[in-house]
Amino acid sequence: MKITKKVQAGTMQSSDLMVFVEPFAELSIEIESTVKKQFEHLIRARIDAVLATHGVTSGKIRVTDRGALDYAIEARLETALKRAGEE
Amino acid sequence: MVTELSCASDLGKARAFIERNGLFFEEVWDDLVGIHEGDELVAVGARAGNILKMLVVEPSRQNGTLLGEVVTELVGRGFAAGCDAFFVYTKPEYAVSFESLNFSLLAAHERAVLLEYGGGLDRWLSSCNHLLRQGLNGAVVMNCNPFTLGHRHLVETAARQLDNLYLFVVQEERSLFPFAVRFRLVEEGVRDIPNVILLDTSNYAVSGATFPAYFLKRDDPIALIQMELDLTLFANRIAPFFKISRRFIGTEPCCSMTYSYNEAMKRLLPLYGIGVVEVARKEAADGVISASRVRELLKYNDFVPLEGLVPATTMAYLRSVEAVPILEKLRKGE
Repeated sequence: MKITKKVQAGTMQSSDLMVFVEPFAELSIEIESTVKKQFEHLIRARIDAVLATHGVTSGKIRVTDRGALDYAIEARLETALKRAGEE
Repeated sequence: MVTELSCASDLGKARAFIERNGLFFEEVWDDLVGIHEGDELVAVGARAGNILKMLVVEPSRQNGTLLGEVVTELVGRGFAAGCDAFFVYTKPEYAVSFESLNFSLLAAHERAVLLEYGGGLDRWLSSCNHLLRQGLNGAVVMNCNPFTLGHRHLVETAARQLDNLYLFVVQEERSLFPFAVRFRLVEEGVRDIPNVILLDTSNYAVSGATFPAYFLKRDDPIALIQMELDLTLFANRIAPFFKISRRFIGTEPCCSMTYSYNEAMKRLLPLYGIGVVEVARKEAADGVISASRVRELLKYNDFVPLEGLVPATTMAYLRSVEAVPILEKLRKGE
């Protein structure tokens, strides 16, 4: 899918994350997390997987996480992608 | 649930709630939201551009999720309105509450801290990587509203004493001349000085985020805290990145806000190993050259004395069709 809109999903609550998605020439992923030191690589792997599933090859993806579990990361990113690709 | 506060009764309650908790109710915002419980407000917050302010949570409820809910709403709305990074000023004891929401500390003062959400400072600095130069580096931060021979004199003097001069043009859109014009006039006005590296200040020096009082010309204790935070951010984060060891300023005989800013600079920057070099203002036939004097003359359409105050490049712009709507605005006193 193609990201055509600038959108946001998620919250700043504990165990949740905010996802910001917008159109961009290349694929850029930025991760901020209160548990970045321990878990950045796992968060990134989750994001990469969701992006791959949806065939996203370009866009600016920014995530600020407060210790969200995998399913929350997937759900928030998927929601954002669906909003970003809406006509 | 977070809701927008817009009806008169909500606004009255918000004002009382904010003031009861020791903050000023400021009339200017893009979004003002709050959380009700029954009839009572238990949390409020506002956003003005990329600044989050008037954030208050009922003291007995501060351990819960209310702050996160309000900030989520404000950041979501701000992002939809085009902001990428968000700033908050708060008391030092609340810094940790914001850090747990993924805000990061930009500068600390004993009375206030400045935090940012969105990682903008690092992004801005890394976008400046290609501008880095080795050697003796200095900086000038200027608004240039518009670029005068006084600015030119300061830049020339500084550039002569350095290997590289970083010339930061204030990006904040709070001046008569828009940033794009101010930047272009500086660019044209210093083109012949080879060791000047021109860049903007983004949100991180003399901006609505770091030093809002500068634009309000309001000389009060809050302004002093803001200018010290602004300088701490410069000394701690910006100067080390660009390897800047001197900051150049012009003497300030007129504007008391700029005067205090210069004084704060001389007091603070040396603590971080940054020298402050004050250059005497360039004088024209009838006194020192200043951008405010230029605007005053423009207001009365008095172009002749301007020749002695601005370089040919700025003069050409001021006489151009492009400048007409801006001069019109000035004359109408907007």
